[in-house]
Amino acid sequence: METMQPFGEGFATALAPEIVLVIGMFTLMIVPNMGDAKFRIPLTQIRIPWFFGGKRGTLDSDPRLPGVFASMFFVIAFLLAALSYVNGMNVTMIETESGYDLLLVNEFSRIFELIFYGALALASIASINRIPATSRKDRSALGLYNNRRQVDFYILLMTTGLGMSIVALSQDLFLLFIGLELASFSTYVLVSFMKETKEGTEAGMKYFIVGSVASGVGLYGLSLLYLWSGSLQFTELTLAFAENGMEPLPLIALGMLLVGFGFKVSAAPFHFAAPDAYAGATSPVAGVLATASKAMGVIGLLRILLVVASPEATDGAAVWLIALAVLSVVTMTWGNLAALGSTNPKRMLAYSSVAHAGYMLAAITAIGALNWEPEHINASNDAALAVVTALIFHLVVLVCFKLGAFLVLSILENEKGGHTLASLGGLAKREPLLAATMFIFMMSLAGVPPLSGFVSKLLVIMGIVKVALVDVTVNGNLTFSDIHWVWYLALLMVINSAISVFYYLRVGLVMFFHEPEAGREGPLPAGRSVRFAILACLLTTLYFGVGAGQLISLCESAANALVGAW
Amino acid sequence: MIDWISIPLVGLPLVSSLVLLAFVASADGAARERLGSSIRMVSLVISLAMLGLTTMMFFAQNNSSMYEALGLDKALDWTGLGFGSFNFEFRYVWIEALGIHWSVGIDALSFPMVWLTTFLLPVTIIATWNEKHASTYFPLILMMGGALIGVFVALDLFMFYVFWELTLIPMFFLILKWGGKDRKYASQKFFIYTFTASVVMLLGLVTLYFLQPDQALSYSGSWTGRTFDIPTLTAHAQQGNAGGAWFLGESMQKILFVMLMLGFLVKLPSVPFHTWLPDAHVQAPTGGSMLLAGVMLKMGAYGMFRLPLAFFPHAAEHFQFWLLALGMISLVWGAIVCLGQTNLKKMVAYSSVSHMGVILIGIATMQPLGWAAALFMMFAHGIISPMLFAVCGAFKHHYHSMEIGAMRGMAKHSPWLATSMMFAWMASLGLPLLAGFVAELMMFLALWHFLAANDWSVLWMVGPALVLALTAAYYLWSMQRTIFEGGEETQPPASLNGQPVPDIADSEKFAMIILAVFTILFGVMPWIALDMMNGWTVAFFETLLIPILGGA
Repeated sequence: METMQPFGEGFATALAPEIVLVIGMFTLMIVPNMGDAKFRIPLTQIRIPWFFGGKRGTLDSDPRLPGVFASMFFVIAFLLAALSYVNGMNVTMIETESGYDLLLVNEFSRIFELIFYGALALASIASINRIPATSRKDRSALGLYNNRRQVDFYILLMTTGLGMSIVALSQDLFLLFIGLELASFSTYVLVSFMKETKEGTEAGMKYFIVGSVASGVGLYGLSLLYLWSGSLQFTELTLAFAENGMEPLPLIALGMLLVGFGFKVSAAPFHFAAPDAYAGATSPVAGVLATASKAMGVIGLLRILLVVASPEATDGAAVWLIALAVLSVVTMTWGNLAALGSTNPKRMLAYSSVAHAGYMLAAITAIGALNWEPEHINASNDAALAVVTALIFHLVVLVCFKLGAFLVLSILENEKGGHTLASLGGLAKREPLLAATMFIFMMSLAGVPPLSGFVSKLLVIMGIVKVALVDVTVNGNLTFSDIHWVWYLALLMVINSAISVFYYLRVGLVMFFHEPEAGREGPLPAGRSVRFAILACLLTTLYFGVGAGQLISLCESAANALVGAW
Repeated sequence: MIDWISIPLVGLPLVSSLVLLAFVASADGAARERLGSSIRMVSLVISLAMLGLTTMMFFAQNNSSMYEALGLDKALDWTGLGFGSFNFEFRYVWIEALGIHWSVGIDALSFPMVWLTTFLLPVTIIATWNEKHASTYFPLILMMGGALIGVFVALDLFMFYVFWELTLIPMFFLILKWGGKDRKYASQKFFIYTFTASVVMLLGLVTLYFLQPDQALSYSGSWTGRTFDIPTLTAHAQQGNAGGAWFLGESMQKILFVMLMLGFLVKLPSVPFHTWLPDAHVQAPTGGSMLLAGVMLKMGAYGMFRLPLAFFPHAAEHFQFWLLALGMISLVWGAIVCLGQTNLKKMVAYSSVSHMGVILIGIATMQPLGWAAALFMMFAHGIISPMLFAVCGAFKHHYHSMEIGAMRGMAKHSPWLATSMMFAWMASLGLPLLAGFVAELMMFLALWHFLAANDWSVLWMVGPALVLALTAAYYLWSMQRTIFEGGEETQPPASLNGQPVPDIADSEKFAMIILAVFTILFGVMPWIALDMMNGWTVAFFETLLIPILGGA
């Protein structure tokens, strides 16, 4: 492992994707403001063209410009992150002069960067040319928002990406929290970006209030943790936990942090704002919330639960085992039952993402159930690796089909639809390929083979079952009670995914069976970029289902980087 | 050996259907209607090519020109293949880390089913030649066929499960788009019911996967050290079960057996898990019903033979009573419910439940004869039930009603339909010299033998005996009401609005003749199929069951 200091030698290479994003932000600020302004040298009549301000040209006042730029920078950042895999991972630790760990670039953080940039790139490609103006004042040519306002949208997407990658990279709880807040604040604004509409304002307000309360609780937990150990470095916290983690103070702090991150992954009972937020935000933003933002929360949970309060510290069961198991059971069941009753497809997807959060919590719970005594450590390591791989795989493919589903809804949103299931009616007649794509996304969410959603669900189930059976020795007197109870989490997950089929199928039913609503018989709104993004989602959904092998080994290397560092 | 399975039998129908559908989706409404007939022709040609291939596989048993055409240097031996060996066995790595392979092969258990699928595809296409929305209907039929064959040839649990679930999607759309009035309810019920059972089965499979010892099994994943390979698992289970020991321990084996059987019993379906079937059948279009009853139900029985019975013979013996009871209840209950039906298609659907009971009883006897009876029943029912549903479809198509008694005196004005109906009904009630009779007779013999050998009460025979009478009763009753009653003055249904009553179309006649010919063929010369089934069963008992369970 290489170590370096901030802005030291090699810093730019290690953090190239993030630096691209920062450059992108400045470009976005500058370019749409360039005009024919001239600067007069004082005391002379000489005017030098200076470009900042003045009357803008046709090119830089084009409302599509910010979207194109932002998408470009996201794609470059994505490719740079991907390239570091191709070139062989250069594991780099960035630390302060006094030796405090700050950021760690390894397979684990890189794959999460890929998730974030991929989701954001797709969201931003899908939004090019497609943020409709709701008031006359801001309207430009093409019926879009003036590009000065459009720029805000994309800059916020970029700060979201930046905050998220800090979360993935950070080796210090405080830094992690700063990244989390950077991303959160950007998403609060993004959710309420349609500030002229009632839903947009309401969604933003609810999301902000609930989110900031959750952050506040988390921050309080953080301060308690600092009070207790005197450091927020993961390495130090791990040691401190191993020594005397059963004291009340760190346990209370842990519980509070769980609230903070539980909100981010929208685990019940901290999920109440999510359906409103998803329904009020534009669909691409809702898609980002359901995929990238959730991945960010999962990083937080993994760091807190597995690295800091590492299960190795205790014998057989982590302190949080029961709490997390209850949380996961409640979350998956609640999410599925609530989704059954929602007629707004965006709320339905929001609840389905709550259910998916439950599956992920079940997977994390399973790791807590492992036995880390010396004679079991190898088997336990293997099992933990399997579970973390499954988690990462799940988060990666979630970007493909969940974001894809939101993007399909975003096309309908352009004709003021997408808020009721009925507005999907007759989609198969209006645009058969889009309806078929949406159906594939739904089936993937439900976990029907051979789509990637099935592989991810299978991997999570396999991970949990592997953990449940890790201590079992197969002989003649093996009984069912020898199996660890986390096996029942897998059973519950299986039952829940059977329930979920109902509401996913219903979407297909409406698309293929119902007649279009009055006024929606014609062709769908155009939008080449969003269809391109949907196509990308579709192809990856299919590819990662049929050819999952490569992605699994990629996720395994990432999981190895985390598990190996325990 | 050339891999005649992966591409020609599985890949071709799936890929061509996707290509055709994508092609259709990009055409507008009017062009789509024009495309219909050419797409139908393409589908028919593809399915006929597949039928040709599987038929060649059959004749490659002794005909040298056939096996040379298949690129083989010696004859294929289906009958004496032995247990655990397969023809056309091929393996490609799919997901290396988890030990998942694309692994295919056909033995005497799967070959009749594969042939049956390829046989029913062109027959279904011909029988429903004039189905509306032809440009999407025929590709879906083709996709259905590809997925079904995938289930039968898969030798890897993952692949098996993938195809198992994949069959749901085309069937869901067939019911949804071409179905009757309540198609929405029926298609959802069908999907959710079978999906729920399948995921429970999946959890059982995953648990079984991790209960294998973490050692160098062949074809195991580099990362998990376990394998999904069915022959390897079977061999391993065989070792574990040897010498009276229970593979994986007694309670574990029982639980896994129940979990796997749940998936298969729902698919079969057996009472009390059968309620999705009548709904699905009544609403499904004719083509969908033909494939559903003809092949899809057999997936359940096939799966039982392939997985739980091979892995967990001790548990199977333990649950023998329950299997027998379930089979008996399905048999009797299905027949009793048939008596009360006024809807022709619903009656046929419940008769399927009843016949599936025969399969379950055959399995439960744990006798080679009973198993061969079950296998032959799968095959015979696979030819007869499509004919039943083709008749129902023609009935509905021409008389716009499914009610028994809506149309009377059919013999007078629709002689073709009346004859087909009579033939199909007779075949289904087990008339000697027709295929169904052979299976039922064998099942009776096996059950008698089993009851006598194990000192079980003879009262078990009351069920099948009763059903013989009941089956005859509901079939004859419905026939009398539709074909003969009315005499000189026939009663065209009110739904025809006084138009003249048509007979069935030429394509339908053709499909009926084909189905009837094969029903007679396998009734008169059952050994064509029965030899290989018997060979497989005997091999199964000799190599696996008898050493483990003892006795005969």
